[in-house]
Amino acid sequence: MTQHVIETRALTKRYGEAIVAVDALDLRVRRGEVYGFLGPNGAGKTTTLRMLLGLVRPTSGDAAVLGAAPGSPAGLARIGAMVEAPGLYPYLSGRDNLRVLAGHAGAAPGRVDAVLAEVGLGGRAGDRAKTYSMGMKQRLGVAAALLKDPELLILDEPTNGLDPAGMAEMRAFIRSLAKGGRTVVLSSHLMGEVEQVCDRVGVIRDGALVAEGTVDQLRGRAKLRVRAEPLGAAALVAAGLPDVGGVATSGAMLELTADVAAAAGINRALVTAGIEVSEISERRASLEDVFLELTTNGGGPR
Amino acid sequence: MTRHVIAELLILRKRAATWILLGLWTLLAVFFAYVVPYALDPEDATGGIRQFLPASLAGTLLDGFPFFGGVFALMLGVFALGSEYGWDTLKALFTQGPGRLRVFAAKLTALAIVLVPFVLGVFAAGAAASLVIAGIEGAPADFPSAWLLLRAIAAGWLILVPWAALGVLLGVLTRGTSLAIGVGILYALVIEGLLSAFADSVSVLEPLTQVFLRANGYSLAAALGASVDSIGSNGPGAYAGPFVAGAQALAVLVASAAAFAGLAALRLRRRDVE
Repeated sequence: MTQHVIETRALTKRYGEAIVAVDALDLRVRRGEVYGFLGPNGAGKTTTLRMLLGLVRPTSGDAAVLGAAPGSPAGLARIGAMVEAPGLYPYLSGRDNLRVLAGHAGAAPGRVDAVLAEVGLGGRAGDRAKTYSMGMKQRLGVAAALLKDPELLILDEPTNGLDPAGMAEMRAFIRSLAKGGRTVVLSSHLMGEVEQVCDRVGVIRDGALVAEGTVDQLRGRAKLRVRAEPLGAAALVAAGLPDVGGVATSGAMLELTADVAAAAGINRALVTAGIEVSEISERRASLEDVFLELTTNGGGPR
Repeated sequence: MTRHVIAELLILRKRAATWILLGLWTLLAVFFAYVVPYALDPEDATGGIRQFLPASLAGTLLDGFPFFGGVFALMLGVFALGSEYGWDTLKALFTQGPGRLRVFAAKLTALAIVLVPFVLGVFAAGAAASLVIAGIEGAPADFPSAWLLLRAIAAGWLILVPWAALGVLLGVLTRGTSLAIGVGILYALVIEGLLSAFADSVSVLEPLTQVFLRANGYSLAAALGASVDSIGSNGPGAYAGPFVAGAQALAVLVASAAAFAGLAALRLRRRDVE
């Protein structure tokens, strides 16, 4: 059994000559992880997910999802998905919407009420979907994705339209879904969401993967900011210390690439060298900083 | 396949538009077959008073299927597929795993099943109207043989099926309902209607009109007792020919339904669901 639940090789989708929605994407999602798929609007996240589900045909490249070709009945039988806003029949109740999908999926009829209860919609299951709030529709979409008790769950912006309490609830729910070996791919542009929920993150920009790793790996090593006098002498001393990986000047501060555990030693060395140290603080890039650096003009692969 | 069809029947059965179309079609069919001509001057009607009596039920009702019935079936077909694009529900259906063609086949089967009450409803309402008229006129209330009625009901269903399939095709091609219904009605009224009207005077058009749904629908109706004179003078849906043999009509209607469904299936199978 392959370690990767999703594996793409040079997956590309073009619309005409000018538009490259997904550009030679190599993506690997490991079994049992919650994989965050981050990118700004229009970066190609949803097109990628649609290709993985067989809804959109790639222009070139190939992909395997659970070892099967995207869109093959064998693969889809083990995948639950909600891509963008959930598609619902507005005049059908939440329960009937799920009954339709369960009929096509071959899910046991008992699953309908089970998943409705799981997403907290049991009390409104008999109401027409058009009377649901945006958040309730999202939850119904997640319930639909769970009907087959899938090995792989693909959720595209599942917290869209939810209030802060609903978002927190959904995040906890997604984490709970990942227990028991299920793999979850979560597409989002919300840093907090990805930071709290995902084991690994891939960042996509202009259709290409520009970074991939754990949240900590993406945020990189912490930096120590040191206010010292005289600054030039402090930089020379710091550069010679074994715990310091790099030295940069930022205004009246030094930025040292070093762990916070080394702060006391660095302070001692500077003071011993006759340098006056008035402040040492830790600075760590947030995922948002990294994301903006990677996805705005001028950003590039790390 | 059964569970897929049951799922699709749930979608059609619980949709208000299905029942509104059924009600309107039944009302119009009876109104133009019985109420209007009987109220105006029954003796002057093409078949005289006999056409309103239960014995003429099959022919009198089938008269309305190729025109009014076809348009209602077309709308039902458009709604069955075109609405899926508007609600963005195809992606949910296609990611359930059965395969696109299986979902499509289930939709077509459910649609064909839903057309059965469209025929039975009209025949039930027409039977009631003819009984009332027989009572008023003191005429015999004898219905045609069960065999003829069964064939007429089957013919009515068969006339509606290709129109519904055309609606499905248009819904798939236009990925919606509004344009599909517009184009469908344009085809029914302008293309088939006008070209058929000119077929008498422009001989080159006649072979073309012989493969039209309208020509073959009316020909099948005529083969089962609808009066050709009545068809030719039946208000806005009047059709003066050409008529083809019943067997040819049957073959063309079946082939048309298969062709429309096949083209829609091809398009649906290959096209991206955005």
